[in-house]
Amino acid sequence: MHHRSAGLIRRLGGAEIAAVVIFIVVFAIPLSTKSVLVYSVLNQVLVGVVAAFSVWIMLRMNLLSFATPAFMAIGGYTVAIAGRYDITNAFLLTAGAFVLPALVAVPLGALVLRLRGTYFVLVTFVLSQIMQLLLFETPDLTGGSNGIAGVPPGTLLGTELASNQQVLLFACGLALLATLITALVTRYFRQHFAAIEENEILAESLGLVVWRYKALGFVVSAGVAGLAGYSLVNMLLTAHPSSFDSITAVDFIAYTIVGGRASILGPIVGSTLLVYATNLFGTHGQYAQGLYGVLILVVILAARGGIVGTVGTLLRRRA
Amino acid sequence: MHEFLEAGIIGVSLGAQYALLALGFTLIFGILGVVNFAHGGFYMLGGYVAYSCVSGLGLPYPLAVLVAVLATAGLGWVFELLLIERLIDDHLATLMLTLALYLIISTGVLVVFGPISMEFTFPVAGALRAGPIYVPRENLIVLAVCLAAILAVYLVLFRTDLGRALRALADDRAVGMALGLRPRLLFPAAFALATGLAGLTGALVTPILALAPGVGDPVLATSFITVILGGLGSLGGAALAAFIVGIVEAYTSVYFGGSAGALVLFVLVLLLLVFRPTGLLGRDVRGA
Repeated sequence: MHHRSAGLIRRLGGAEIAAVVIFIVVFAIPLSTKSVLVYSVLNQVLVGVVAAFSVWIMLRMNLLSFATPAFMAIGGYTVAIAGRYDITNAFLLTAGAFVLPALVAVPLGALVLRLRGTYFVLVTFVLSQIMQLLLFETPDLTGGSNGIAGVPPGTLLGTELASNQQVLLFACGLALLATLITALVTRYFRQHFAAIEENEILAESLGLVVWRYKALGFVVSAGVAGLAGYSLVNMLLTAHPSSFDSITAVDFIAYTIVGGRASILGPIVGSTLLVYATNLFGTHGQYAQGLYGVLILVVILAARGGIVGTVGTLLRRRA
Repeated sequence: MHEFLEAGIIGVSLGAQYALLALGFTLIFGILGVVNFAHGGFYMLGGYVAYSCVSGLGLPYPLAVLVAVLATAGLGWVFELLLIERLIDDHLATLMLTLALYLIISTGVLVVFGPISMEFTFPVAGALRAGPIYVPRENLIVLAVCLAAILAVYLVLFRTDLGRALRALADDRAVGMALGLRPRLLFPAAFALATGLAGLTGALVTPILALAPGVGDPVLATSFITVILGGLGSLGGAALAAFIVGIVEAYTSVYFGGSAGALVLFVLVLLLLVFRPTGLLGRDVRGA
């Protein structure tokens, strides 16, 4: 009996199960406290984790993507624009925030997935820049430099998600959904992604239809980023271009790299620690960028597995 | 008509600034295979060092520019030698290192100088007049210095042994090393040359535009666009593309306003990157 359950855990992935459990347990936090500080930090962490998942999915294939803010913007603005037409059904908005960025990612993926390594980094950075400019150049649709303020609260099963507690519980729900999607995709296609990460040309010559899995990863990563965009708009009740600045991609990359790129727990640990640390700086929040810089240096030079990878290595060494 | 000419002159002087930035950026990529995310940081640092020399130490502006060049080149040298060098063949790792350096430089500037923009003005004011055309003197001086610097870079790279060695390493590192070139000496030199150029641009241009934390972000984006357009690693391509970007930017901002011109340019660059990753003048794609 014990043997069989161990096999099941191995097949589903211990880290993936732990990730899902974490985001089920997280619901207890808004249910058990009313602390404004806890609410604020947790909400930021939940947005950060989902955005970091989007980066992490691409890193599974050794592709470093700066496109996350662009897809977040599509998801976030979808919700904000729907609000103008009094569409507030949270299920519908969640579906829209995932599907629309994913659909946009299909033709874009066909273009940018031809590139690898440094060129992929550059092209996704340019994509995020284009999204910024598009937001400014389409004031009728997106409100231009003013953005869209006063997004109406969502409704879930007839209840309006208006109180801080309801908003945070909904953010927990979005994070759980994003975790499930990310865990399912990266676990189910683990070997395919690993083959591409290890040696794409070899994988292709052995018969793996590489473009199919890269496209799939890119589309799912875009959808997950869209959920992060929804979560951000849900928190701020505003969609503003500055929320989706291309340079914010650096934060999500930092969360993923510092947390550890080898496990789904990496983006979770990285986002939690770095967002928490940012809040410790208080009104000097912008100084946290320097901390991110130092941590990235340490990880790249001394602890390649990030926090999760390094802790794992230490535990194994002791065992 | 005079509007057209004035926009043209602005475009050329923007182009010269972009060329200095792009030359450094493409030099680092061509020779080391490193995408320097800290390029905007060195530009910003150049501006702040020059500002500190002028307002803190009371140095004359030309001397302050020289100090800024030496400081940014020195930092580039040390950074390459101590950090980049260890991971030189891992493209994503070196990219993350430069990204980290950018975050650290930005925060350092923020801590030391605060978030407000500095009162840093160009020491020469006034405008030259030719018929109906006005050209600010400061723009002409910056243009002249930039063109001189571009010429100097050209002479160093194509007329000296150092330049020949650097270009040989860019061409084929293995063969270059087999022939006795020493990357331990030449790589930091190339990096320092490039970051020094970014520092020079910052020291020259920030008194005219602005000096505040965050001025590095658009510089990084422009360097990317220019270098991709010209072909990553191509020196001639970078210079040509810089003038194209500068002139397009000047004319679209005069005749259309807003960021429509930038949007068109970015989309063009995106398509170029996808369908002709070697850019306008680039030859082969470096193993990415």
